[in-house]
Amino acid sequence: MSVHLDGNMVVLEGICRVEDAEPLLRWLQADPGRIVDLSNAEHLHAAVLQVLMAFRPSLKGPPKDEFLRGWVMPALLDPGSCDMTPETG
Amino acid sequence: MDDLLQHFIVEARELIQQATDDLLALERDPNAVVPMDGAFRAVHTLKGSVGLFDFAPMGLALHAAEDVLGALKEGRVRAEADVIDTLLDCIGQAERWVAEIERTGLLPPDAAEEGYRLARVLRSHADENSAPAAAAGSPVDLGWVKDLIAQSPDAAAQAKSLVAIVYTPRSDCFFSGDDPVALLRSIPNLVSVRISNREPWPPVSEIDPFACNLRIEALSSAALDAIRAIFRFVPDQVTIHEVPCSASDRAATGAAGPLEEAAGGARGRTLRVDAVRIDHLADLVGEMVVAKNALAHLSGQIRDRLEHKDLAQALLTSQASISRIVAELHRAVMDVRMMPMRDIFRRFPRAVRDIAGALGKAVDFSMEGEDVEADKSVVEGLFEPLLHVLRNAIDHGAEPEEARLKAGKPGRVKVTLRARREGDRVAVEIEDDGRGIDPAAVRRVAGEQRVTSADELERMSDAEIINLIFAPGFSTASEVTDLSGRGVGMDAVRSAVERMGGQVSVQSLLGHGTTIRLSLPLTIVMARVMAVRIGQELYGIPLDGVIETTIVPRSRVIPVGDAEAFVLRDRTIPLIRLSDLLEISRSLELRSSMKVVVMALDDGPVGIAVDSFAERMDVLMRPMSGILSGMPGVMGTTLLGDGNVLMILDIPELIG
Repeated sequence: MSVHLDGNMVVLEGICRVEDAEPLLRWLQADPGRIVDLSNAEHLHAAVLQVLMAFRPSLKGPPKDEFLRGWVMPALLDPGSCDMTPETG
Repeated sequence: MDDLLQHFIVEARELIQQATDDLLALERDPNAVVPMDGAFRAVHTLKGSVGLFDFAPMGLALHAAEDVLGALKEGRVRAEADVIDTLLDCIGQAERWVAEIERTGLLPPDAAEEGYRLARVLRSHADENSAPAAAAGSPVDLGWVKDLIAQSPDAAAQAKSLVAIVYTPRSDCFFSGDDPVALLRSIPNLVSVRISNREPWPPVSEIDPFACNLRIEALSSAALDAIRAIFRFVPDQVTIHEVPCSASDRAATGAAGPLEEAAGGARGRTLRVDAVRIDHLADLVGEMVVAKNALAHLSGQIRDRLEHKDLAQALLTSQASISRIVAELHRAVMDVRMMPMRDIFRRFPRAVRDIAGALGKAVDFSMEGEDVEADKSVVEGLFEPLLHVLRNAIDHGAEPEEARLKAGKPGRVKVTLRARREGDRVAVEIEDDGRGIDPAAVRRVAGEQRVTSADELERMSDAEIINLIFAPGFSTASEVTDLSGRGVGMDAVRSAVERMGGQVSVQSLLGHGTTIRLSLPLTIVMARVMAVRIGQELYGIPLDGVIETTIVPRSRVIPVGDAEAFVLRDRTIPLIRLSDLLEISRSLELRSSMKVVVMALDDGPVGIAVDSFAERMDVLMRPMSGILSGMPGVMGTTLLGDGNVLMILDIPELIG
């Protein structure tokens, strides 16, 4: 299990797999104001990533992992790359 | 009609035109990148707008067209003639649908069937020669690539070539063990990445974490093959293609400045204004001109009285400055109405292609002077006449290919449409290098059709003879084709052009080709007229027909049979009294000289004798309407400063 609750903070650590999406989702559904700590995450499975994209929680980070920091984080931060409207395609 | 629909119609027309232009460009050069992107973008946008309304069959057909264009862009389908034909069919149908929507607000009843048919034919093209369905979701639009490059311009600039990847994982992909983020991580030399949601996120309570809703776009500077290898297990969910160098160059340089190109073409700053509002503005300016003329009239009256000299002077000064401002305002409003020929010219390549196709002729069509501007009414009024002339050039002008080759000409007939500004007029020419007009044939047909008397025909030069093609009812078409020769001849062209204050002429050399020339005023809203007096009555004569005014001593008037003439600079000019034309009794007073307006008519200069000349003025001419519209010899009326109505005479028609 790479996801656990620490007080009111959801912590994602190491390699987060598909099965981590479900507890993450439940914790955020229960309190969307929870902060998510990504600083020690080494990989986020797409299922986990999309839960984060849907909730846009406040994040504690940035992750040490260079790939996550460089290419994935923008999807969680930059409002332009993750808009709430459907693509026109 | 609601605003949204109205806006849709305007936008749809523009997009349809854009798509048509680009498809025709693509037909000429199947590998051209810019028109391919342009057509794709236009169809994509149009499809999006259609989706706002209940026009499903149209959306269906356009979606299929978009997919074909996407396949063309990615090189999965080649831009063969039949593919372009089908796309043009689809766009043509969309155009007809838009016309129907404008008329009735709905698609016609047969739209569903036609929409399915088009979509089916288009899909068959998309599948032809194509690799196993590579497109997942919508095809790649270069727009996002540019955006991504703009995010990391340095890396993009260093890369020699870029590979663009759009990865839209299937929603059940997690169950087959895929992790799209892991795949993304394995792409070497990432330059840029954008991860977004494919559909809007559902409410938080309904989120299904195991239904993948991601769309990943990425650019990499790695080799195409290396990237293909990474995605080899999900070929149906990814599109991979190399970004053309030009696109990356443009975007890389564009990253320094505003990305206008990516935003859909760098257009000038324009404002779309309802034509009705501009017309209203033009009417107001027109009335202001009338009010200004009234002021001039008043100033004149005061000046003629001896008292209040200084007041009269002040009034005149003020009138002069109002006059100047009104003239400037008028020019400004007219400028708003100016539009480039391009707005109608761009419809011709398609029309020429269709006409040539229907007649089995090969045509090399080119256009010049699309930027030449004229008043909206002139430009729009030119479309029909020009189309007719083009039709004639292709139908009657162009010889069969064998005949052309035998005559040492290129197989394809060359037709050029050309516009240019000539002073305050605009000249439009249609030139072809076809068989030319045979003066002997025109002479014979004109005789048979009794277009003019045999004597007259005898006397006319060849150049004059071929201008008889504009005579009412004249037609040399030996066979009635589907396209022309339906009784609508060149005389229709002539009258349409003359209605706008223009003239037509033709030059032709047998065996070498024909040039039809239309000359039109830049604007037709205001007319310059010269006022003349017969007795106490004032009449207007359009200044564009007037060459000069002169005073002819009565002794110099030469009787010629029943008529009269006079000599002006060694040239004998027929003299006609305006009072006779208007059937008004001549004034009894005998003067020693006559005042004559010399006008250029079709058969040469004519002197029109009047009692006196009055001022020249700019007037807003109102065409005759209602009962008066049938009144011969009167072009229109205008309101004078003193409240009287001035009739503007059509001298050629009066002479008959």
